[in-house]
Amino acid sequence: MRVKVLIVEDSKASREYIAAMVEAVEGVEVVVTSSGFEALKLLPRHRFELIITDINMPDINGLELINFVKKNPNYRDVPLFVITTEGREQDRDRGLALGAAEYLVKPFVPGSLEALLRRYLKLP
Amino acid sequence: MNPGSKALAEFVAEATEILDALARDLLVLDERRGQEADPDLVNGIFRAAHSLKGLSGLFGQERISRLAHGTEDLLDRLRLGKLLLDGAVLDALIEALDAFQALLGEAARGTETEVLSGRVDAMAARLASLGAPTEVSEDDPLDRLELEAQVRSVFTEYEEHRLRENVRRGVALWRVRAAFDLSDFDKGLAELNARLKPMGEVISTLPSAQPGGSHGIAFDLIFGGQVDSAALEAGLEGTPAELSPLGVRPAVDVVTPALVRAAQPAVTVRQGAGKSSAAGAGSEKAPPASRPRADTGAGSELGPRESGRDTRGGGKATGAPGTAASSDAADTTAATSRKRREDSSDAPTRDAPDVSAEPRRADAESSSPTKRSGGRKRSSRTPAATPSEEQQPLLPHLSSDGAAQGAVDWPTSVSEGVAHLDVSDPGAPASPGAPEPHESIVPTEPSPAPLVAYLQGAAKASPKGLSVAPSPPAAGPGSAPAPSVGSPSAQTSDTSLRSLTQTVRVDIGRLDGLINMVGELLLIKANLQRLAESARQDGAVALSKLFGQELARETRGLERKLEALQEGLLEARMVPVGQVFDKLARLVRRITREAGKEIEFVISGGEVELDKLIVEELSDPLMHLIRNAIDHGVESPDARLAAGKSRRAVVSLRAEQKGNHVVIEVSDDGAGIDEVRVREVAITRGLITFAQAQEMTRRELLNLIFQPGFSTARSVSELSGRGVGLDVVKNNLGNLSGIIDVWSERGKGTSFHLTLPVTLAIIRALLVGVSGRTYAVPLNSVLEIISVQPRDIRTVERREVLDVRGQTLPFVRLARMFALPDRPVSRYFVVVVGLAQERLGIAVDELHGQQDIVTKPLGGRLQSIRGISGATDLGNRRTVLVLDVAALLEEGMATERRRA
Amino acid sequence: MSRFSELLDDFFYRPDEDVTGLHDFAAGSDGVRAIAPEEVPEEYLAFRLESECYAVPIRGVREISKVPPLTEIPRAEPQLLGVMNLRGELLPVYDIKVRLRLAERPPLVAGPDAPPPPRHARILVLRTQTGPAGVWVDGVVGVVKLKPSMLEAPPPGMRTGDKDCVVGMGRRGPTLYILLDAEQALAP
Repeated sequence: MRVKVLIVEDSKASREYIAAMVEAVEGVEVVVTSSGFEALKLLPRHRFELIITDINMPDINGLELINFVKKNPNYRDVPLFVITTEGREQDRDRGLALGAAEYLVKPFVPGSLEALLRRYLKLP
Repeated sequence: MNPGSKALAEFVAEATEILDALARDLLVLDERRGQEADPDLVNGIFRAAHSLKGLSGLFGQERISRLAHGTEDLLDRLRLGKLLLDGAVLDALIEALDAFQALLGEAARGTETEVLSGRVDAMAARLASLGAPTEVSEDDPLDRLELEAQVRSVFTEYEEHRLRENVRRGVALWRVRAAFDLSDFDKGLAELNARLKPMGEVISTLPSAQPGGSHGIAFDLIFGGQVDSAALEAGLEGTPAELSPLGVRPAVDVVTPALVRAAQPAVTVRQGAGKSSAAGAGSEKAPPASRPRADTGAGSELGPRESGRDTRGGGKATGAPGTAASSDAADTTAATSRKRREDSSDAPTRDAPDVSAEPRRADAESSSPTKRSGGRKRSSRTPAATPSEEQQPLLPHLSSDGAAQGAVDWPTSVSEGVAHLDVSDPGAPASPGAPEPHESIVPTEPSPAPLVAYLQGAAKASPKGLSVAPSPPAAGPGSAPAPSVGSPSAQTSDTSLRSLTQTVRVDIGRLDGLINMVGELLLIKANLQRLAESARQDGAVALSKLFGQELARETRGLERKLEALQEGLLEARMVPVGQVFDKLARLVRRITREAGKEIEFVISGGEVELDKLIVEELSDPLMHLIRNAIDHGVESPDARLAAGKSRRAVVSLRAEQKGNHVVIEVSDDGAGIDEVRVREVAITRGLITFAQAQEMTRRELLNLIFQPGFSTARSVSELSGRGVGLDVVKNNLGNLSGIIDVWSERGKGTSFHLTLPVTLAIIRALLVGVSGRTYAVPLNSVLEIISVQPRDIRTVERREVLDVRGQTLPFVRLARMFALPDRPVSRYFVVVVGLAQERLGIAVDELHGQQDIVTKPLGGRLQSIRGISGATDLGNRRTVLVLDVAALLEEGMATERRRA
Repeated sequence: MSRFSELLDDFFYRPDEDVTGLHDFAAGSDGVRAIAPEEVPEEYLAFRLESECYAVPIRGVREISKVPPLTEIPRAEPQLLGVMNLRGELLPVYDIKVRLRLAERPPLVAGPDAPPPPRHARILVLRTQTGPAGVWVDGVVGVVKLKPSMLEAPPPGMRTGDKDCVVGMGRRGPTLYILLDAEQALAP
């Protein structure tokens, strides 16, 4: 059975790009959404093994999403990766402080993401 | 398309969307120059730059990424209040936008010019060095806010800044909690936000971590209220929102007098820990009591909070380098916060009442907003937060020369502008929720049509604006060389406003409609299949009459649905012409400044829809016309005053739908065109003979300015500039099957009318036969068809005319016009075509009926063919040429003029 | 211009200057060909116009099409025979015989009065700087490989028409191919 990864990112191009990279890892199924609100709706409907989220988004920010996930007994064990861009270390640090497991800096290096995915999803 | 170019196309499409949004928001900021910027707007612009940075980095667009980085950085400082939005900053942002557009253009073409790279470097350096920092207060007002560190830790830096600003200004802060059904909470939240926005600023929306039952979810909105509690409660009536105030402790042991004045308003709290503050708050009508708070209490409360923040700080310090360290730190934080959560168990509502209300510290004047029930908006504000911080964003240059600058920049609003400065009324700055605070500055006519008033552009203002520009003419193809106003080179050097993407954004409703139609078509297909099947099975048996009827019915249904589908698809291609108007509005500011004019730019009819293709192709001709109007049509302010006109000229751009066509008007109230001079120039250049000139009407004379060869650089100054490249404009429009017409009155102004078809993609055409050939005539320009005998054709002064209901109609035989072998016929069909006021009868041999055609342009090597706008395939591999009615009309008229 | 630079100017090449003699001179004396270690042949598409055999580099040929019904374009330049519809794409079709002085006037091949096209006639779809263009040929001969050593400059007598359409000659066995510059041949 394939494991599900949720990607929350409002920029379409970034979203597609990350999705493509994650999908390239065998045994992974990707669910994408462009907003924090949608992510909140998706959480109870799927069993995600990993969440990758942007910080700066229009409705609720990524930090709030992380906090929500980490404080909710149903999801708190799901590892979270934060997407940041160079120069926004503040947001990244806050994300990590709230319980995000890793951060990805745009632009990404595909190999490194794959290694992280394998580690956190416990894939061979 | 290979994967690379597909990715590039995607990049260009999304970058274009981002830049469009950026341009729209910058335009709003630009229109409200001199007022305090709406934080939401600045944040939106920041987000756009941020997205652009991420996007371009992702696609390896290094130059865009670099510039976006600089822009984002500048905007980050702006939105975090570390920088003031003054004129120079705004100009720089607008120039950066131009540079982005030029860069994206090069990216789309796969080129990279040195010139532009140099410009990017210069821009980036300039952005980095820009701006005066705001005064930084040592005291962080956030430390005085009674908000759990846990909650604060979820804020982004920006949200934190907004919260800080609200505390500093003494805005009453609330926690608005609302629970919704999980399935449609976004609707509920949107409604709640819509209610809250007019009453203040929604600083953050926090999903409550408490599991809200199996199907529910709760949110905490941190809200800075500009209205008192009663109004707030009234405003939220009917929503599931529960209100609780967030307390703010007074500034600790006053250090400076400024801080004394910046005292915080009291936040009222109901006594006791009632079950739900919202239940109470809902019923609360009387001004609540506030009670003084012991300083010791404040001190002791500070303790745990501070320690909480320290933990977070620790996580921050060790968390960055490695995962292990960071998760450790995170665990600590999580543990701490979990504990805090448990402590404050069910909700902030219990927490909040414990936080006691704040006493007014310094002056009674700034008493709690909640005590002023029903007070006017302005008076309900605290009048005296730190003055320097309050005033600066309002009008940036407060030094004496800065005030002069303000007066120059906003010529019509000098008095208001100065009033703002002197009175230093902190209630005046627009804050996000304040309704329409701009009216006092921008004298906008109340009108349902979108109206953009431009207040920029006094000649004296430009040196300042230009002095900061590091990009001299070197700026290259992307920008107009600023000082060469009116030179022909300035005409051509503007960045094209054409968008770089072929994407059309389609309303989801429209798409759904199309999908539904396809569904119905599938049904019909199934029915037809069934009929075909039964016909096959019946074999030789004669088919029943019933069968025939059924088949006919299904076929009719198919036809109707296909028509609807076609119409729907055409609609999906339609975009509001406002898309291009917005881009033009941005340019107007720059051109105005360069030209040293004062201009009010008025736009209307932006909602009128045209085919995406046409809208795209329109931008260049419109830009040309507007540039002409500003550079040459409109007089200098002094000349206007001398002529008894207002200093400020009006240039307007209007669109209006008229049947199958859209008419776009570009007009000014400038000096107008001198037709006597037009006539002289036309005769001098040999465009017309003296005898012809004698016979021409005023309108015909004016229209000579569209003749190729009419305008030269010299005639620009001779003729108040009309005619610079207008033949090009006319040609561009001709390619869109549109025509242009000019009207002008000396001393009163000039206006150009562009008449365009609504779409070019699929058109209904009349098929006509001439000398055995078939041509298609777009039906939207066909007025009527008349049948005439050869003897009905009269010759007047060697040209052929027809009398139609008492009017003389110019008339051409298509066979002769196209030099086709003449075939004797007993009667002609005359297709009367018309655009705007022009009419022409075109004689053909036969009519072959109407058909919907998809026109293909004669691209590449065939572009210069006159009189043919494209070709279409009628099936059976027959290619039929589509007549360019506008060109034929023009040709017919020209023939007439020549013969005259 | 100073006297000196006038003198100097005489030494500069002008694009419109006849330098055939120089080429011949260079070809005979220089020995550049001799040092070329290995000859890479280039492929040409050979075709017939009237009784002559012409060739163009095959990389400039997009495809070869039978002659579809052509639609004449009124008032177009005479060498534009008409437009054809190739799988939905609209392509102009040109005559180059007049430019090459092989015919007095373009053939009547488009419009209702045109006779059916000869059996061997084809349209070559060429890639040009201004987009794809069709060229009417009387027949396609085939693909020939020509090594640089088989190429020679056109004889001065071949310099026909107002444009330099002929760029050289290719000799392979008994056959002589006239090498065309398609861009020039189609130039307006």
